[in-house]
Amino acid sequence: MSEITLVIDGVECRGEKGDTILEVARKNDIYIPTLCWMEGLTPIGSCRMCVVEVEKNPKLLTACTTPAVQDMRVSTKTEKLKKYRLQILELLFAGRNHFCMFCSQSGDCELQRLAIEHGMDNVRYPFLYESFHNDATDPHIQIDHNRCILCLRCIRVCAEKVGAHTLDLEQRGWGTNIVADLGKKLGESDTCITCGACAQVCPTGTITLRDFVYRGRRNDCDDIVESICPLCSLGCRIKAWVRTGSVVRVEGLSGTSADGGQLCQRGRWELPKSTERDRVTVPMIRTGSTFREASWDEALTLAASKMKGALESGKAAALLSELSTDEELTVMSSFFRDTLKMDKVDGYYGNMLRGFVDGFRPFADQGIRPFTAAHNIASSDAIVLLDANPQEEAPVAASYIRVSTILERAKLVNISTVKNPFEGITDVDIRTTEKEMEDLIRTLRQGVEGQDVPEKLKEAAELLKNAQKPVIVIGSSLASYPSIVTEAVNLAVASGAFFEDGLGVVPMLRASNSLGALNTVTGTKDWLTDSDLDFLYVLSTGMVDEDKRALEAMSRARFVVVHTPFMSHPLVNMADVLLPAPAWYERSGHYCTLEGERRRMNMIVPPKGNVKGLSVIMKDLAAKLGHELAQASAAPCENIYASTAEPVAARTVSMKEEG
Amino acid sequence: MAMYRSHVLICGGTGCVSNGATEVTEAMRKELARRDLTGEVLVVPTGCHGMCEMGPIMVVYPEGTFYSRVTAEDVPEIVEEHIYKGRPVERLMYSGGEEMPTVPHYKDIPFYGKQHRIALKNCGYINPDNIEEYISRGGYEALAKAITSMTPVQVIDELKASGLRGRGGGGFPTGLKWSFCAAAKGDKKYVICNADEGDPGAFMDRSILEGDPHAILEGMLLGAFAMGANEGYIYCRAEYPLAIQRLKTAIEQAENYGLLGENIMDTPFSFTVHVKEGAGAFVCGEETALMASIEGQRGMPRPRPPFPANSGLWGLPTNINNVETWANVAQIIAHGGEWYAAMGTEKSKGTKVFALTGKVKHTGLVEVPMGITLREIIFDIGGGILNDRKFKAVQIGGPSGGCLTEEHLDTPVSYETLTALGAIMGSGGLVVMDEDNCMVDVAKFFLEFTQKESCGKCSPCREGTKHMLLLLNKISEGNGTMEDLETLENLANMVQEMSLCGLGQTAPNPVLTTLRYFRDEYVAHIRDKKCPAGACTALLEYSILQDVCRKCGICARNCPVHCIPGDRTSGYVIETERCIRCGTCFEKCPFGAIEKK
Ligand SMILES: Cc1cc2nc3c(=O)[nH]c(=O)nc-3n(C[C@H](O)[C@H](O)[C@H](O)COP(=O)(O)O)c2cc1C
Ligand code: SF4
Ligand code: SF4
Ligand code: SF4
Ligand code: FES
Repeated sequence: MSEITLVIDGVECRGEKGDTILEVARKNDIYIPTLCWMEGLTPIGSCRMCVVEVEKNPKLLTACTTPAVQDMRVSTKTEKLKKYRLQILELLFAGRNHFCMFCSQSGDCELQRLAIEHGMDNVRYPFLYESFHNDATDPHIQIDHNRCILCLRCIRVCAEKVGAHTLDLEQRGWGTNIVADLGKKLGESDTCITCGACAQVCPTGTITLRDFVYRGRRNDCDDIVESICPLCSLGCRIKAWVRTGSVVRVEGLSGTSADGGQLCQRGRWELPKSTERDRVTVPMIRTGSTFREASWDEALTLAASKMKGALESGKAAALLSELSTDEELTVMSSFFRDTLKMDKVDGYYGNMLRGFVDGFRPFADQGIRPFTAAHNIASSDAIVLLDANPQEEAPVAASYIRVSTILERAKLVNISTVKNPFEGITDVDIRTTEKEMEDLIRTLRQGVEGQDVPEKLKEAAELLKNAQKPVIVIGSSLASYPSIVTEAVNLAVASGAFFEDGLGVVPMLRASNSLGALNTVTGTKDWLTDSDLDFLYVLSTGMVDEDKRALEAMSRARFVVVHTPFMSHPLVNMADVLLPAPAWYERSGHYCTLEGERRRMNMIVPPKGNVKGLSVIMKDLAAKLGHELAQASAAPCENIYASTAEPVAARTVSMKEEG
Repeated sequence: MAMYRSHVLICGGTGCVSNGATEVTEAMRKELARRDLTGEVLVVPTGCHGMCEMGPIMVVYPEGTFYSRVTAEDVPEIVEEHIYKGRPVERLMYSGGEEMPTVPHYKDIPFYGKQHRIALKNCGYINPDNIEEYISRGGYEALAKAITSMTPVQVIDELKASGLRGRGGGGFPTGLKWSFCAAAKGDKKYVICNADEGDPGAFMDRSILEGDPHAILEGMLLGAFAMGANEGYIYCRAEYPLAIQRLKTAIEQAENYGLLGENIMDTPFSFTVHVKEGAGAFVCGEETALMASIEGQRGMPRPRPPFPANSGLWGLPTNINNVETWANVAQIIAHGGEWYAAMGTEKSKGTKVFALTGKVKHTGLVEVPMGITLREIIFDIGGGILNDRKFKAVQIGGPSGGCLTEEHLDTPVSYETLTALGAIMGSGGLVVMDEDNCMVDVAKFFLEFTQKESCGKCSPCREGTKHMLLLLNKISEGNGTMEDLETLENLANMVQEMSLCGLGQTAPNPVLTTLRYFRDEYVAHIRDKKCPAGACTALLEYSILQDVCRKCGICARNCPVHCIPGDRTSGYVIETERCIRCGTCFEKCPFGAIEKK
């Protein structure tokens, strides 16, 4: 990138070739008012607030769209510009309902802020205040069109980042309005995924989230915490607003990241909802069909006494959540594995992780990382889904798929045993059975390698052959068949799916710290199903309902310690001893995300109840068992398939004799 | 080709067809067949002759006799007298008023006398559905010349030498624009013909499309060759079904002749073209909105840069020109740039087609050399003001043009002069107005259109034009204040400078020019609560001139709100406070006793 210099308001400014005037100004701390512009979205130059004067150009130019040029002389604050900007603001106020005292966003609104900044003390034009519709049809998102200034940020984020293309414009001229699905109300929309991205970017009080309004303006909040969402393997970055101990608003971290600051529905709403759930606040011990409160010491002493005998007969086990932080995983690993040498330790998703690991092994053995960061889907030109349903498994990855297929015209191939989750935007859709999946992927790969393939695979093979950056997305259900996983990676290798960080494969891991769990708590084999246990320690974050297999193991076990933040049923019913844990937003630590980054989670609100840190508890338990907590031998995240070889060096591996 | 002793050209343009040209053609064919003349006389349906108001028009060659307002009933007489006996039918000839009772020949009609037809060269002369006729008048020679003996750079140089400027409104030098697109990097480029013609009252592009579709194709072929494009789009208003049909026929014929498709004339040059029907919004004529519309998006303009030459249709280098611009290209290549540059003024070369409408005697399509004065167009070609009333103003450039006055009549018409006066060349609409036209009303009329057609994307245009219109309404209803005038002017200036696209940037023109040249009229509406032209209904006052009144009571009986009390002996008076100014009494009074002020 070559550097350019220009003069803005008399100050010499440096920027890069390709920057807009606005970008250069911002890099050099020169303020230009903006309204429709938003970082990460395509600039459209529609509000005209950012107009500037450029020497030798008779026209006023919008800073947000005009490329900066070497030696340009720009003025951003002339009397004329101020006058025109003020006129625009007054027109926007006169156009629709901007009586701030009756708006939930007053104090948070960008339009209002600009009006104050421009000294707008009256409006010279008549207030039209004709009634546009107030769309209250969606249970979560409200659109009061009477406050819309048509900056089109909502339309752009929905199309460019979420890929839902729900929102658009209807009518022309002064009656122009935002609509869903070419004329529906939002609540009737078939395409809206209720992610709330539109509300997050709306600068006015038009699109709001019912759960967040009237709970305090951003400025009134006590704390804003940047953290991550641990509800799926992507670990999206979030920003949480805290007021008097409650989380009142959650937003994605806007910016230029691939996700564009979006969150899925759970990421947006689960956190404030969680803060209202029933909690386990003190240690409790079962007495018949109920619990009684106990001290930590009493509860742990009881647990230790039951554990001791079980350890001796090899009938003690631990079922641990992969939604835990790296730090927690390390403590648990040192306690259960290094200190107590237990072999019945596993995570809830142990089978799935072992399946993926087994399938990946031949490639890991070549020194190659057999998967890539999920956001690379957004820059790929061909996507193959193998029984994957990202909208369920990792929702923002579904956005990547929609955006790259619709906007970037990537090709989409779906091969599944169930209904295609991307109907309408799929180029090739193939239905198969679990039994035939492996052969089908192998045949397809052979097609990519140049062999003849049956008619139904021809188009897919052709398309992969021509692709520059394909990505294969493997659904979590296929982890039950490691050989299918291997074939899927083979397909990636044959198609030349090579990214800097590894092969173009994205496994739909479910839990947020699956990668962290691999080295620490994931066991070597499944013991849960056929276990005859005297003692079972369960650590649950309460964010995912326990599956049947886990619940059955708990009910079979003779003594169960449940360590969890929430009074979630039926989990707590299984407990003989119930220990309170901090909820995820009350903890800090790191996660190894599928986005290829180790991201930090920060405490958003302080823990409630009589909780203790995991390491304190583990140390205490160890002591009660007559041990000292050993140094952890494994570190999460570290060396998870660190590449020693370039992805392009990858070789396909044969699973069966090929004919 | 068979030899015919006579050719009967019947206009098949939209205007004449709606006046019954199809029936005339049918009748002519039948009559000739009945008299067994089919082998001797050829009936040729042609494109528009420009004088639509006189249609259906028929021209009989070799004499070149010009018949106007021909009906199917006139046909037997024409065949009997003119074709059989060689005696032209005088009563059907064009009449130029007292000095020229009948004008037998095309070239002698004043309407055509001052015209100079280049873009319209073939319109009205050939059957647009027959490629042979286009070829017989030199068609596709320029293409052959260019692709066999010229380099793309030479073609562009020729265009530059011609001085041709975009006829779609902006007036950007065409050769220069082509050179940008030619220089843009990329294997795939597009050329587009802008045939959206959204200006109300404009029909020059339609006439060319209907009358000479091959000229557009040849122009686009030359452009594609010069710029290295191999695919083109003609974006045509959906309201022009005839034009679309003729274009499709022309494309098919050109393909059959090997003039479109792969390896044209056995050279490496290939070009295909698609016709795309418009989405029906005025703003879709704006180039970036037009391309968005072709891409299947909502037709909304986007800021430039990037210009289409670098990033146009689907983000690829694209050149877009107007129909009339394309129509000039082949002749420039055939005759050379200098030939074209010999016409016009220093900076505005060649000819321009105008749609002359409003209060002139002869309305229609006229192609004149640049530099001609407005007076020549309105008085010499248009024959002056209807009913010999007094000329007041001319709105030039369509709804976003400006209103010029008496004092500008002798200004030579060129891009520069018009812009300097606050008007624009636009697509070439010329609406002539007389004393009965109120300038506030005129400004309101045009703004109503642009306001409604604003795409709604940018705030100055969307919100600003709305408030401007509210102010104009307020003034024309007699509720305006002098302060409103200032607010209106401020808004107009802001919208002009701040809007994103040409629509918003030019929408204030009618307001600004009328404020500039007819300020008194605004003031009269505000201070005196009077509309000097008597056009603003709310300001009118109807009264009965008692000395003319014959006390018949017809007015009283017809008044819908019964506000004319009286009887046949004492006479009638209008109660002004209750009058709704509908004008019924004014129309019904057989003695002209009602005055409107
Ligand atoms: C609101 C608006 C409407 C327009 N409509 C037309 C149109 O109908 N036909 C046209 O040729 N150009 C139209 N233009 C001009 C085009 O944007 C463009 O400048 C033109 O097609 C370029 O061709 P030219 O260089 O041959 O004039 C319009 C411009 C604006 C701002
Ligand atoms: S909630 Fe998400 S999907 Fe729905 S309209 Fe808003 S941005 Fe689009
Ligand atoms: S709803 Fe909000 S984001 Fe969307 S256009 Fe209106 S003001 Fe902008
Ligand atoms: S000036 Fe008017 S038509 Fe043009 S972009 Fe703005 S709102 Fe749309
Ligand atoms: S911020 Fe540039 S036009 Fe809106």
